[in-house]
Amino acid sequence: MADKPVYEEASIDGQPSKLASIPASDTTVWADASPLLQAACAGLRDGELIHGDNFNLFAAMSALEIMDPKMDSGIVCTYYSIDEAIENGAAPIPISLDSTIDVCRTIDIMDHLLACEAAWHKGHSLAQTVFSCIYLLRLDRTAPHALLHSYCRIIRATCKAVVSVVSDARTHEEEDLFTLTYGLPLNGDGDDKCLSILNAVEETISRQLRACKATSSKRRLPEDLEPLQSNPNLEEGFCKALLCRLRFRKHFFHVLSCMKRPQGRGLESARKHIASCLTELESILKSADFLRSCFDESCEGDIDDKTTASGFEPIGFDAMLNSRLSAPTPPRAIKILSWKKAVEYFVKLLHDLDVICSYSLDPHLESLLRFVVQFQKSQPDLVARSHLQLLLVQDGKLYGRDPFFAVINKAAALPEATKNHDIQKNESFLQLGMLVMNLLKILCTNAAWQRRKLGKFLQDWRVIYVQLELAFRNEYGEVSSSSNDENTCMKIFQHILLWVEEQTFWIAFRFLILGFELELYSTGEYCMVYWYLYAVLIKLAEKTHLMMAVSHDTAKRKGKKKKDSPKDLARESRIPPAVLFLQCYICLAEGLTMYLSRCLLL
Amino acid sequence: MEAKPEEKAEFEEAEIEYVSYGGEHHLPLIMNLVDQELSEPYSIFTYRYFVYLWPQLSFLAFHKGKCVGTVVCKMGEHRNTFRGYIAMLVVIKPYRGRGIATELVTRSIRMMMESGCEEVTLEAEVTNKGALALYGRLGFIRAKRLFHYYLNGVDAFRLKLLFPPPRQVL
Repeated sequence: MADKPVYEEASIDGQPSKLASIPASDTTVWADASPLLQAACAGLRDGELIHGDNFNLFAAMSALEIMDPKMDSGIVCTYYSIDEAIENGAAPIPISLDSTIDVCRTIDIMDHLLACEAAWHKGHSLAQTVFSCIYLLRLDRTAPHALLHSYCRIIRATCKAVVSVVSDARTHEEEDLFTLTYGLPLNGDGDDKCLSILNAVEETISRQLRACKATSSKRRLPEDLEPLQSNPNLEEGFCKALLCRLRFRKHFFHVLSCMKRPQGRGLESARKHIASCLTELESILKSADFLRSCFDESCEGDIDDKTTASGFEPIGFDAMLNSRLSAPTPPRAIKILSWKKAVEYFVKLLHDLDVICSYSLDPHLESLLRFVVQFQKSQPDLVARSHLQLLLVQDGKLYGRDPFFAVINKAAALPEATKNHDIQKNESFLQLGMLVMNLLKILCTNAAWQRRKLGKFLQDWRVIYVQLELAFRNEYGEVSSSSNDENTCMKIFQHILLWVEEQTFWIAFRFLILGFELELYSTGEYCMVYWYLYAVLIKLAEKTHLMMAVSHDTAKRKGKKKKDSPKDLARESRIPPAVLFLQCYICLAEGLTMYLSRCLLL
Repeated sequence: MEAKPEEKAEFEEAEIEYVSYGGEHHLPLIMNLVDQELSEPYSIFTYRYFVYLWPQLSFLAFHKGKCVGTVVCKMGEHRNTFRGYIAMLVVIKPYRGRGIATELVTRSIRMMMESGCEEVTLEAEVTNKGALALYGRLGFIRAKRLFHYYLNGVDAFRLKLLFPPPRQVL
């Protein structure tokens, strides 16, 4: 309960009290500091500054000028609190006593929430986007309005699920605004039942849709159903508009739930729900024509900028109410995505998620790396990338299924039998496993962050190589081994050392290539970059070729010791396609280096 | 409604007077220029932080007594390198394209070099072609890209100018 201001008493004296405008609460009492500040003003001369030792740039930039609306997020803009906003009718329930308008406005709220959700995914704070909805901030009071209530519940549950995925992926060093929920009411009692609540509402509206279709064809109905709203001509359009919106939310929630299942068990189901989502989004887009035409008045301004399909401003949103919760960012108004752009965003997100769900969980690291690199070319956003990362690395295993030593074992073309070798308990091999895990995580981050991390990462790969080499030399340096196990260990070391080198050069290659995507190189630097690429590619090709030769040896040894057929010999002398491909790159890089160096000379 | 064409000021480059930050009387001029240009507000503490601690690194450009441009910088130890940092650079619209910004930046960089800096950095929006061209001409490279650096979601480049190591005097 908000305390009533004290001014009624003070004004009896005829002198309005300065304290009166800020009500005291249980935990705060306000004192007037104006005389103190007045006195302080006279204490400094022009140009003087008092500062503490810790007066650094961060402190200076975080400092606020109180009452400056650009900086002071405590400034009251419209309402002092959510309760005050509600008391003043900012979020009425029902939205309108006219059921047609009520339905229309409900749809506007749904659309605006979608736009807010897209804006949040794109990098704005939850407080200023989805939770700028007063209905969402006080969900319980929406209970009498089944439609709004069920929609808000599922939105809340969805946001919570998405925050959880992104938090678990822990990429939010790069995009840290996303997971800050600062005391927003994300955890709702009974949100686990949000789907059944939604289903009930969906069922009701489906019946209403069937009823109004039956009425139009003059068939009789078994029950006496109350229509959705009062205008029978609009009933069908509204039912359809609502159904696709509700169904989209249902299927989207299912996508998130399915993708969360461990070891990729839910991916196939997720794909079905993704397909449904896309269908419903198409219906949502199509509903715009109907929604824009149901009232005679048309909305002002460019329809493409609007955050609702109808073009009308939604009721019940106030981004400034949470401004204190969106600190430390300054209280600036953010631009919510237009409704059209929001739908486009979700279509792209769903396509990106579909690519992830279609992935075959290939145990070959090489294929996986190619897949991730290819996936990143479509510039997926944070939510999609987090889902990919969580699919790839779970419980310290690849896909939650394959221990990393086994993965490395396979990548290094070692026989299947060695994947359980005790040597994996060796400190260096444990660290190598961590490096591979971190590599996968890094490859799922945004390109800018990824390149910086890869650059630093090269150091770690070099160090592990030296460590492994040292360990190898210590164990087998002087020994011309004879025992079987020693032979195996030696082989493991040799293969893995070679593989580590190959990986290191691959990372270096990615680092250089990303610079092009990120537009980091000026034209004057291209020559130098291509020259570096040329050098790195030569080494990469060399290691790859060696790796393949060694892998061929392993394969041969696996088979019976037959005489080499002419076909086998021919195959051996052919350069593997992967290496040929790298050689093409080498030629390109060399050619470009030469060409550009001539250009520089001219 | 037709947009009025950008009014360019008429002046000779020699008429521009470059002045090192001289004190409190310069501060409101700097603040006015920068406030006009930037959507992100700086508190007065931010300005004071720069001009009080490194007055020798801030410069103003005047034309016939009117302040038309300014650069505000700092320098300090950062992870074992002594580095300069360009915080703000503004030239008012009618005076752009005539080398004033380049001159302001050059003066500041020269001062940083004399003070023993090993490098100079700043951030610029990836879409700010003017700034990128200006610094590119001065020899800055794009050291990093910073994802969604600005609140409006735009990426930034970290630009860096590396000074050649001091010549060994034999």
